[in-house]
Amino acid sequence: MQGGEEAGASRRGVVTLPRVLHAEWTKLASLAATTWLVVGTVLAASSLAFGLGLFAGPGGAVTGTSLAASGSLLAQLGVLVLGVLVGAEEFSTGTSLTTFATVPRRVPVLAAQVLVTAAVALVTGSVALLASVLVTAGARRGAGLSWDVSDPETLRAAAGYVLFLTGAAVCGVGLGALLRRPAAALTTGVVLFVVVDQVLAANPGRVTDTVRALLPGSGTRLFADDTRLTALAAGPGPGPDLGAWGGGLVLGTWCVVLVLLAGYRLVRHDVT
Amino acid sequence: MNASVSSAAPPAATTRSGPSFGRVVAAEWTKLLSLRSPIAIGVATVAVTGGLTHLFAGAASGDPGFVPTRNLTDALPLAFIGPLVLGVLVGTGEFSTGTFRSTYAAVPRRVPVLAAQAVVTAGFVLGIAVLTVGAAVLGILPAAAARDMTPDLLGAGVPQLLLGSACHLVGAALFGLAIGALLRRPVPALVTAFVVLLILPLVLSLAGDLATGPLQASTPGATPPGTAAVNTVETFTLVGAGAVLTTPDGGGLDGAPELGVPGAALVLAAWVAVPLAAAASRLRRRDLA
Repeated sequence: MQGGEEAGASRRGVVTLPRVLHAEWTKLASLAATTWLVVGTVLAASSLAFGLGLFAGPGGAVTGTSLAASGSLLAQLGVLVLGVLVGAEEFSTGTSLTTFATVPRRVPVLAAQVLVTAAVALVTGSVALLASVLVTAGARRGAGLSWDVSDPETLRAAAGYVLFLTGAAVCGVGLGALLRRPAAALTTGVVLFVVVDQVLAANPGRVTDTVRALLPGSGTRLFADDTRLTALAAGPGPGPDLGAWGGGLVLGTWCVVLVLLAGYRLVRHDVT
Repeated sequence: MNASVSSAAPPAATTRSGPSFGRVVAAEWTKLLSLRSPIAIGVATVAVTGGLTHLFAGAASGDPGFVPTRNLTDALPLAFIGPLVLGVLVGTGEFSTGTFRSTYAAVPRRVPVLAAQAVVTAGFVLGIAVLTVGAAVLGILPAAAARDMTPDLLGAGVPQLLLGSACHLVGAALFGLAIGALLRRPVPALVTAFVVLLILPLVLSLAGDLATGPLQASTPGATPPGTAAVNTVETFTLVGAGAVLTTPDGGGLDGAPELGVPGAALVLAAWVAVPLAAAASRLRRRDLA
C-alpha cells in the first residue's frame, strides 16, 4: 500500500515533455496579453489588407494572392512580439527561477515554448489569412482579381503566409530566450526582419542582394505571387535565385540556429 | 537650543532640497550616463553608420555618375533605430524597474522630470548624431579618394542634408521618449514606434504601388488621385518629413503639398510635441503605477 503510494507519488513528480508542454500552454493562455496579441494581429492584418484593397484597380500591379497576403507587414510584427514575450518575459519577471527549478534539464522548457508558440502563431496566421481573404472579396471583385484555393499558386501562397508567420514567431522565441530581454530581442528581430532588408534594398548589388536573400525576411517569398518571384529571380542585381521554398528554407534555418543558440545558452550558462 | 534648531532648519531645507529644473536635469543626466546601454547604443549607431556608408559608397563608386555625397544618408534608415530605442528606454526604464516611485516622490510636480528627460535625451542624442554624421562623412572618403574626387561637403544642399540627418536622429529619439513615457511599458512602446517609423512607410509605398497601376501611369503629366492621397499622407508622416530634410533639394512628392524644409521641420516637431504633451498630461492627471 505504502509502496504503491510512493510509486504513484514519484510518477506524479516526473517531468515529462507533455507535462512541460501543458505548463507552458497554461502560462501562455492565462496571460491577457496573448489574447490581445492574437486578436490585434488578426485585426491589424485584415484591416491592412482591406485598406490596401481600396487602392487596387483593374490592370494594377496587384494580384488576388498578393492582396490577401498584404497584411503580413503588420502580422509579422504581432507574431514576433508573441514569440519574444514567450522567450524572454520569464527572465524579466523572475518566473524563470521557478520554471527551471522544476525542470532542471531546462531544454524541455525551450522546446515546449517553441511548440506552443508555433501552434498559436499557426492558428493566428490561418485566421488572419482567412479574415484578409474575406475582407478583400469586394476589392477583388471590383478589380477583377481571383483568389482560388484550387490554383496551385494561391494554395502555395496561402500555406506560405501561415508558415512565414509561424517561422517569425519561432525566431521570436529563439531571440527572446537568447537575449532574455524583451526590448533587446524585439529590436533585434525587427532589425533582422525589416530594417536591414530595407536599407540594403536601396543599394542593389551582388553583395547586398546575396545578404538580403539570406535574411529571415527572405521567408516572405513563401507567399509572394509568381510575378514577384520572377522579378526577384531576375532582380536588379545578380543575387541568388531561391524561389519560394528556398526562401522558406532560409527562414527555417534562422529558426533552428536561433533556437539552438538559445538552448546552448540555457544549458551551458547561468539562468539569472 | 531646540527652538533655534527647528527655526533654523526649515529655511535651509527649502533652499537646498528644492527640485529646481537644473537639478532635475542633472539627476536625469546622471541616470542616463550611469547605464551601460546608452553608451553601447551610441557606439553601435556610429560604428554601423560609418561601416555601412563605407560599403555603399564603395559599391557605388564603380558607377560612372558617382557622386560621393549621395551616399551620405544611405545608412540613416538603420541608424535611427538606435536613438529610437534609446528614447523608448529612457521613457519606460523607470516604470519597469520601479525607480519612478523615488523619482516622483523627489519631484512631486512630475512634469519637470519628463522635460528633463527630453532635454537630456536630446542633448545626448545630438552628440551621437554629430558623431554619426561625421562617421557617414568619413565613410564616403575612401570611395571618393579611389575615384580621385573630393566630396563637396559645402555645396548644393549638403550642409542642410547633414543637419537634417542629425535632426532626424534627435527627432526619432524624442518620439521614442514620448511614446515610452506615454505607454510606460517597453514592448508596447517599441511596437508602436516600429509601426509608425518602419511599417507605416512600407504600407504607404505598397499603397502607392497599387494606386499607380500601368493604366494610370500611361497618362504622363497627371498624378492619379490615389497616388496624390498616398503621397499627401506620406508627406505628413515622421519618416516622410525626415526624408524631405535629408534629400539635397528638399523636393516634395507628386500631388502632395510642398512643405519645404521649414514645413518638414515643423511636421517633425509636431510628431515629437504631440505625444510628449499627451505623456505630460497622463503624468499630471493619472496615477503613476
